[in-house]
Amino acid sequence: MGKSILKTLVKVLNTKPHFNEQSNQERMELKAQDISTNYEQNLENFKQIFSIPKNVDVKVREFTIRALNRHAFIIYLNTMTDIELIQKSILMPLIENEHAAGKIQDIVSFPVEKTITNIGDITENITSGITALIVDGDHQCYVFETSKVQGRSIEKSDNEVIVRGAKEAFNEKLADNMGLIRKKIKNENLIFEHFIVSKRSRNDVMLVYEKDLINHETLHSLKDKLKAIEVDSVLDLSLLEQYLEERPRSLFPTILNTERPDRAVSFIEEGHIVILMSNSPNCLVLPATFWSLFHSPEDHYLRVPYGNFIRILRLVALFISMFSSSFYIAITNYHVGMIPPDLLMAIAGARERVPFPSIIEILMMEIAFELIREAGLRVPSPIGPTIGIVGALILGQAAVQANVISPIVIIVIALSGLSSFIISDTSLNFAIRLSRFLFIFAAGFIGIYGFGALIVLGLFYLTSLKSFGVPYFAPMTPHFFSSKDLIIRHVPMKERFRPGYLKPKDMVKQRKE
Amino acid sequence: MKQKPGKLGIREYAAIAILMVGSKATEDTPAFLYTGSQNAAWMVPILSAVVFFVPLFLLIKTISLFQGKNLFSVIQQLLGKYIGFLVCLVIFIISSLGISYDSRTYIDIIKAFYFNSTPHLVLYAILMAICTYGAKKGIQHIGSVSYLIVFYTLLSGYFIFIISFQDSNFQAILPIWGSGIPRIFKESIHRLPLFADFFLLTMLIPYLKSSKEFRKGTWIAYSYVTIHISTAILMFIVLFDRSSGAIGYPFHTLIRYISLGNYIPNVEIIFFVIWIMGAFIRFTAFLYVNALMFGYMFKIKDFEYLIPSLAAIYLMIGIIPESSMDVSHDLKPMVQSAAGPAFAAISLMVWIAALLKGEFKHAKNKSGL
Repeated sequence: MGKSILKTLVKVLNTKPHFNEQSNQERMELKAQDISTNYEQNLENFKQIFSIPKNVDVKVREFTIRALNRHAFIIYLNTMTDIELIQKSILMPLIENEHAAGKIQDIVSFPVEKTITNIGDITENITSGITALIVDGDHQCYVFETSKVQGRSIEKSDNEVIVRGAKEAFNEKLADNMGLIRKKIKNENLIFEHFIVSKRSRNDVMLVYEKDLINHETLHSLKDKLKAIEVDSVLDLSLLEQYLEERPRSLFPTILNTERPDRAVSFIEEGHIVILMSNSPNCLVLPATFWSLFHSPEDHYLRVPYGNFIRILRLVALFISMFSSSFYIAITNYHVGMIPPDLLMAIAGARERVPFPSIIEILMMEIAFELIREAGLRVPSPIGPTIGIVGALILGQAAVQANVISPIVIIVIALSGLSSFIISDTSLNFAIRLSRFLFIFAAGFIGIYGFGALIVLGLFYLTSLKSFGVPYFAPMTPHFFSSKDLIIRHVPMKERFRPGYLKPKDMVKQRKE
Repeated sequence: MKQKPGKLGIREYAAIAILMVGSKATEDTPAFLYTGSQNAAWMVPILSAVVFFVPLFLLIKTISLFQGKNLFSVIQQLLGKYIGFLVCLVIFIISSLGISYDSRTYIDIIKAFYFNSTPHLVLYAILMAICTYGAKKGIQHIGSVSYLIVFYTLLSGYFIFIISFQDSNFQAILPIWGSGIPRIFKESIHRLPLFADFFLLTMLIPYLKSSKEFRKGTWIAYSYVTIHISTAILMFIVLFDRSSGAIGYPFHTLIRYISLGNYIPNVEIIFFVIWIMGAFIRFTAFLYVNALMFGYMFKIKDFEYLIPSLAAIYLMIGIIPESSMDVSHDLKPMVQSAAGPAFAAISLMVWIAALLKGEFKHAKNKSGL
């Protein structure tokens, strides 16, 4: 009851402004109609819908089909279509063919995609790069798949660099991305399911999964979530990610975002669902656990000992980047006895002329490091290296010489900063960098006790996170049957099972004959 | 999306049980055992375990007759509405006092060894706040966190054990019977509350996948913890010898004593972090079980909302005693001497009631059909 009172109170206090929408009833009605057999009226309708001639890239071409001796027009967007193709395989046959033929399909060499009658549907098709042909006296419209979008070609992966393994990355073209996945899984069970989110700009979303593996419950809940998105447009996959996440305000990510097709494919093979979206050079993998975010594809490409070595290295890096600065604060402020006497003298000597408490020192340097990092990311690439030199050398060196920072702090920060680069996943990387600050405050407040308390608090929080019903630390705890690819990976022959938390239809990857 | 609460796996349950009971080796219990039976103190946990095994076995056997019921509902079903309620109330009060004084002991340790100038209340409030947060997350998450840290806790224990070897004097376990065999037996009966937590953990049965898993998890944890506590006490005895009785918190003295070679003389902070994490888990689980009891007794369905207020009450009870001596010499022994016999008696009572009511026969008939 308390909650409902609070809700009404919030409602009363927090009044959102109301905007009156301008009615476009007329347009809506027009779109709901079917095309008429009247040529002039059709032409008029489409010109009105597409604001011709104000709208520059919408082209309408009127002509006479000689074979049928009838008026006709085609309408297309010249920025989204292959004009040469239209010219050669649609227009030329229609205009030049003199032999009498009954059907349009017999005249054009281009395969007719389909015929539709609804004006709204035709409009939707045209906006996605399809050419529509409307013939006088015909009550249906012929649409041809002529879309050709501009974009970059397939390039090397920039953000998830690996030494061994495939180098190609997703690009902004949906068809290319689909091809990249399809060529790695040559199986008819691989499904690309098309979905449209948002009402106004109708963004294409592609759900990719293997139909004989995935758990249908997860798929349904994902579809329900996609259907529930009621906005005008979702421009990018990263935005969609935020719509889909259960806890969008959480520090830790619950959906994996990768730009590597090989990584996406390995998840599809395990029974995960991958989401592609037009105009986004990456894909979403869900459900994602802490382990899937923490692993890198290279762990598996390298031989077992090497793969495990870098994995343990990454785990150590995670701990160093998260805990080193707060541990330093706790030790130097509360538990000085832990430092060996010689080292203690050295630290005290170096700190003697620094006027700040160590927590201020650490915070200053942490912030400086984050600044350098952010600046290095944003500067135009020709001056990039310069920033690094300025930041690292001048700032660090000068700060020590000016007695603002003690040298040991530089070591601590450099170590924690360097380690944070080893976590390749952008979201997890941010999560760790941000939680580092929480640990610094906890350790500054009450030393190692606060530090320990925050670890436990964080663990409680993390175990309660769920990604589409899958606990964050699954299959470690709660336990699920899996091939135990967690901290240590095994030889590929032993990794025979798909993760049990996905409840896949087929648990065993390879059966022993 | 509405999340369905999952079940507690056997691993997580065993982890909770090990952390809850195993941590007793790291507080003031070993010191009391030593004062009782001198250098034979390491036998006491083993003998106590054997003695407590009987009531616990009977209790679990009785409860497993009632599929998916917890301790309290079984008690109320067997002993009737009023007597049952009274018995439940006694258990709840004992365990409430237990959590208050146990947590106070931990705060005393933290204050005495690591944070001498921080007020009790601050340390206590942080402990209770974290426990409240964890307990509100539910038993599945408590289990998951305990499973995540239990290995590190145990590993650190072994590590301490190994490095304390170099200064140990193994002759200190002689004379092997310490202050005499009768004394050891008496002490073993006296120290039953060492395993009282297992009695309380039977409240968690409905959260496990099956009562078979509960039984298995309990016995695994039970046998492990017995060996664990016994070994820990042995470790303290061979290291401190006769001064064990004078050391209040041997574990913390020990981690102060040991060093990693000459260069790093003090490593206690690292072990302290691991220990305190275990302690948080222990009281989180304890708090959750107590809230569960309270909720069950007074028919409160959403008992999770009780946790903050219960935590506040326990904090207030725990903060009352003036000094740590009051807690460990007067209050805790009082609660413990009530807890051991009471829990054992209740277990037996429940079993006898079930026997007289013919529940075992019913079950047999049911399974026969």
